[in-house]
Amino acid sequence: MDPLRSYLGRLLLEDVTPVVMVLTTPLAEAACRKSGLSFVDMLSPFSLFKKIDVPVRTASDQPYRLQQFKIRMVYASDVRKQDCEVADARIKLVVSEANEKALPDLLSDPPQLKDVLNKPEAELCPLWIKKFNRELIRTLSFSDHETFDHPVACLLVVSSKDKEPISKFADLFNANQLPPLLNEGIMDPQILKHYLVLHEQQDGPQEIAVNILAEMRTTLGLNDCKLLSINSSTQADGSDADNSWSTYKAHGLHNHEGTCFLNMDDLNEIKDFMQDFASNHIIPYMEQKIRVLNQQVATTRKGFRNQIKNLWWRKRDDVPEAANGPMYTFTSIESQIRVLSDYAFMLRDYELALSNYRLLSTDYKLDKAWKRFAGVQEMSGLCYFMLDQSRKDAEYCMENAFTTYLRIGSSGQRNATRCGLWWAEMLKTRGQHREASTVYFRISNEEPSLHSAVLLEQAACCYLLSSPRMLRKYGFHLILAGNSYYLSDQKQHAVRAYRNALFVYKQNPWSYINNHVHFNVGRWYGVLGIFDVAIKHLLEVIACSHQSLTTQSMFLNDFFHFVQSTGEKFDVYKLQLPVFNMSSLRVVNEDHRTYASNADVDVNESIWQELEEELIPSSSVVRTNWLDTQPKSSPFRNNKACVCVAGEAVKLNVELKNPLQISVNVSGISLICQLSTNLNASETGALTTAAEEDIASTKPSISTFESDGNNFTVSKLDIVLGGGETKRIQLEVTPKVIGILKLVGIRWTLSDSVVGYQYFEVATQKKNKKGKRGARRSLNTNLIVIKGLPKLTGYIECLPTKAFTGDLQLLTLNLRNQSEHAVKNIKMKISHPRFVIPGDSSDLDLEFPQCLRKHVQSDSNTVSEGTKENVKGSLFAFPQGIKIQGGTTFSWPLWFHAATPGNFSLYLSLYYEMESTTDIPYRTLRMHYNVEVLPSLDVSFAISMCSSRLQEYIVRMDVINKTPSDSFALNQLSCVGTKWAVSTLPSRDSISFVETIPANQAVSCFFKIKDLSTSSCIEAADGSCGSDIVLSPGGSTDVFDVSRTPITDFHYQERHQQGKLAKVPRGLLDFILISKAVAVNSSKSEQLLSHHTCHCSALSQNPVWWLMEGPRTITHDFSKSCCEANIQLVIHNSSEHNTTVRVVTSDCMAEKSQTAPSHESASGQGGWHDVSLENDIKAIASTKGTHSQKQSSESISPFVWCSLSSAQVDLKPDSSAKIPLKVCIFAPGTYNFSTYELHWKVHSSESGHVDENVTSGGGQGYPFYVNVLQGA
Amino acid sequence: MASTACFVIVSKNDIPIYDAEVGSAPKKEDQAYQHQFILHAALDVVQDLAWATSAMFLKSVDRFNDLVVSVYVTAGHTRFMLLHDSRSEDGIKSFFQEIFLNPLYLPGSRITSSHFNTKVRALARKYL
Repeated sequence: MDPLRSYLGRLLLEDVTPVVMVLTTPLAEAACRKSGLSFVDMLSPFSLFKKIDVPVRTASDQPYRLQQFKIRMVYASDVRKQDCEVADARIKLVVSEANEKALPDLLSDPPQLKDVLNKPEAELCPLWIKKFNRELIRTLSFSDHETFDHPVACLLVVSSKDKEPISKFADLFNANQLPPLLNEGIMDPQILKHYLVLHEQQDGPQEIAVNILAEMRTTLGLNDCKLLSINSSTQADGSDADNSWSTYKAHGLHNHEGTCFLNMDDLNEIKDFMQDFASNHIIPYMEQKIRVLNQQVATTRKGFRNQIKNLWWRKRDDVPEAANGPMYTFTSIESQIRVLSDYAFMLRDYELALSNYRLLSTDYKLDKAWKRFAGVQEMSGLCYFMLDQSRKDAEYCMENAFTTYLRIGSSGQRNATRCGLWWAEMLKTRGQHREASTVYFRISNEEPSLHSAVLLEQAACCYLLSSPRMLRKYGFHLILAGNSYYLSDQKQHAVRAYRNALFVYKQNPWSYINNHVHFNVGRWYGVLGIFDVAIKHLLEVIACSHQSLTTQSMFLNDFFHFVQSTGEKFDVYKLQLPVFNMSSLRVVNEDHRTYASNADVDVNESIWQELEEELIPSSSVVRTNWLDTQPKSSPFRNNKACVCVAGEAVKLNVELKNPLQISVNVSGISLICQLSTNLNASETGALTTAAEEDIASTKPSISTFESDGNNFTVSKLDIVLGGGETKRIQLEVTPKVIGILKLVGIRWTLSDSVVGYQYFEVATQKKNKKGKRGARRSLNTNLIVIKGLPKLTGYIECLPTKAFTGDLQLLTLNLRNQSEHAVKNIKMKISHPRFVIPGDSSDLDLEFPQCLRKHVQSDSNTVSEGTKENVKGSLFAFPQGIKIQGGTTFSWPLWFHAATPGNFSLYLSLYYEMESTTDIPYRTLRMHYNVEVLPSLDVSFAISMCSSRLQEYIVRMDVINKTPSDSFALNQLSCVGTKWAVSTLPSRDSISFVETIPANQAVSCFFKIKDLSTSSCIEAADGSCGSDIVLSPGGSTDVFDVSRTPITDFHYQERHQQGKLAKVPRGLLDFILISKAVAVNSSKSEQLLSHHTCHCSALSQNPVWWLMEGPRTITHDFSKSCCEANIQLVIHNSSEHNTTVRVVTSDCMAEKSQTAPSHESASGQGGWHDVSLENDIKAIASTKGTHSQKQSSESISPFVWCSLSSAQVDLKPDSSAKIPLKVCIFAPGTYNFSTYELHWKVHSSESGHVDENVTSGGGQGYPFYVNVLQGA
Repeated sequence: MASTACFVIVSKNDIPIYDAEVGSAPKKEDQAYQHQFILHAALDVVQDLAWATSAMFLKSVDRFNDLVVSVYVTAGHTRFMLLHDSRSEDGIKSFFQEIFLNPLYLPGSRITSSHFNTKVRALARKYL
């Protein structure tokens, strides 16, 4: 590209041009003012010569022709460095003007990527930015280190009305009024002077002026004096003049008064004058000056000798460094070289200019005059550019100049900016946009915020224009620019910059960026008063969960502030605050399935179905039944549609989350619904699909869904969501008439100012359908409303959520029929019959637990038999006659027993039928409770066979209180059934029992149980030896009857459950321990606990019992003979098979046993003992253990078995046999006749079925002590 | 340790999958978005450079005032970007090389592992 045609080229051709200093008298100026113009304004349109076509000859002999030329006309008073503030104000004005133009743009949509890409370059970088750049450069005019702004010529103007015009010229060029540049010796005051007489035609004929001109010519010189006539037009608003002047108005000149006295002739005259002035005076003057200066430079600086001299001279003159280097007056050779090169540059002899600039740069460098050095570098860079030579050199020079300017500090800052602007333009011309943007960015750092904003915007544009496009950089720099604009109070520009960047960050996952952009755009729009757009942008950021608390509250406050500023409620689709978790959405409609509470709905449908399997009639039968009765109800056939009942609320559960850390106030959460009362099937389908499409395509305005009070009512919910809180809410809609109810969406009000609404996604609904989950699971928003039905609501009164193991309570099931019609045929099923069983209608009035007490007249043993059947199936049918009439409440007792510790989900399902014919013949009421059962008493039993009695066992009961703080009082221990009698051990009769077991304590008790079934016990008649034993001090009045309905039912369940777990195939007996919680405060009602331990069996169970019977004390006179004692062994076969028992006696006997009787066994007997202290310990040890053969072999036994050594008997099942035995005793003493063994063999009918160690076995004899006394 | 260091892992499709302020300077609210802006803009430069060189560690690709962006490009074109103000290039290189992604990682999803987080911070203390 030809550098002269480039933007920078044109810029330089226009800006780096000769300056003409204008000095006018007040009268001359006043003449121009009549047309509303200053003198400079009047001339400046004619100072640009498009086709001047002047031959120029500078240093070389070869002339060339200038085509385009411009001179700058400047008042002398303006030839000075500009005041910084004034300059900045002017620049600000440029920006603000553009601001006003930008306003309508802001209301339109922000640009998209393709819009921006298709934009021409000129539009990206609008005109006002170029103007801004020029103004910025212009602030540096008339600096002292450059000479291209120094006036080349001086134009002195007097009016023809001035008196003594000649002397006026002298006055005008008075040193006092001249600009400081000339006075301070920076530039040569001997400049080209041109004298002009301004004549107004209105004032009279031209003669006076011509006379003055003639006078001037004689005194001031022939060629330098001119006459200019203006204001020829007599009419103030000459139409032709207006038109002619209007062509120049484009130059930014405005005729403010609207009057213009210039006519065409005047304009032509001005034009001719300027043409003459430029081509005949200024250019020749400059040519001549160049030649003179060049000659001078050549003689002083060119050639080897001069260079050496120069170097030597500079060395010597090594003055201490001043801030701006040494002072150079216009007479110094350096200034002259600079003038020479600047003139050459202006006359476009760039080669000459460049060579001199280079010469100068070494000088300045040596002098350390850095600012001047930078200025020269800058110009040489431009020369390289204009010559279109070595790009590298040009860039090197520019960079050098730029960094040098920056290095010298604040005084060079603006110069650096100018240099940067030129540099960037240069790079842009060459297509190096990326580098240009870097330059723009660098200079933006040096400028105040307003300037830097414009520069950053240019940098951004460069990134967009660079290849490849760097959109992210573009966005980033626009944001930076916008920020700077905002800082310099240019909000509209700020918004514009951010808006332009929006497309870069659209759908951007970089959250902080997104928030920043949207928040600022929104806020600034709000400040500008464009609230709707502001709110739109702020909506994007209010749900930012990742920001800090302060930021979130700032976002929210601004948002609400703007919303309130609008003064109306806003409807926002898909408002992100709070977040509705649509996947958590569930519609709960009650068709034939009704629920006692909301929590019950969440229970898996399969659990209910399993539970209700036996309860409800099989579905196919039902469906045909009620569909037959309702032939018109065809919509039910497509079972996709859910059914709800008119008058009953359809509930919708949804989770909503507050993403912020601030709590927000959400009010009026309600459903948006439609209810069409048309029941015609085909039309219904059409309507629903139409509605779906409607929503999918054009989201209808929310106002159309305002609650239709006639057809349905919706609930409104107000909640406050804390920071980060998630809440599950339930919304309701209650249809009032039959039809199709469509749930469309949710609406809510945020902080009473913003209405958010959201529609349910139709897509998810389809997806769910495909997934074939349960109909109720899927989000089916279309519901068929059917005629009102009776409905039962129910709850279990005072069902504990926490209970101790064994807790027994009487509860009440309350059912209420809210409709007008009665329901009948009520059935109930309970998931855990171990925990809850239905009672009897009579139980309702009972006082618990007194009702369980054993009364003398109670003979209700038979009741338990009847209920067992029901319990087994856990299906309970209420008595046939029971109907729940409309509006009434019905109660039924339930027994609760906390069987085992743990968490239990209790499911109850109630089935009932309608009395009147309805769409649905039956309904179920589902109830669900969670019960936590805490461990309380841990009861275990150890049973061992009693060795001293037949058919008796010793029972050890270990009770451990596992609660951390509660105490329990043991009340009674009962054996289940009539077969067993339990009693305390005889020794315990007198000792009072342990009443309570405190927390974490354990207690063990011993009991004796007796089998009543086989042996005809006399004690059975006796009340003291029943199946219950009272453990509390209260006595027998406090005994509970374990054979009554709740306890026996629960026991049956326990028995069933524990039987499954028990490994022993056949248990011996069951125990029930009843205890009471020791209430801390007496006001609490008595709490009863029953612990059921089933299938207890003896530790080692032999099929054979044996017992020695005989006299315990024998008195015999040993002087006569030895004593013969007749004893007999009673053997009882308790097994179910025939058993052969063999008894073997042996005479070997431990000698110690004679003198070591057991205290325990003998304590109940009379007589005396030979007690020796040293033997005591051993004796206890030996009696507890089995007999040692080794000991007995050492001594001869004091007694001998004398009847037989071996006997064998066959025993039938459950029969006894007695084997008579005879012992011969030789001396008085105490003897233990236990030296016998039993061996038995069970003849099982089906051998192999029974265990090996059971079929045969053996046992040592039990100790049997006999005192033999010496008789008289 | 660098006073400012913002580490971001950017997935192939320019989504930040992990970010952490690992600098010793106290975290400021307004810096968070500034860092994101700088890193986001630097992606343009990375895009250019990544295909021009075979090296994975691209050194300092971009700068904003005194903040420098160093980038390490993995074979899957996931970019580890570190915005920092210190100049120890070797340290940064080691830092990048010790950060390796879990092979079971689902490309494009966000990294939420707390273990990874602590490890990054430990490495930052070690090398930066």
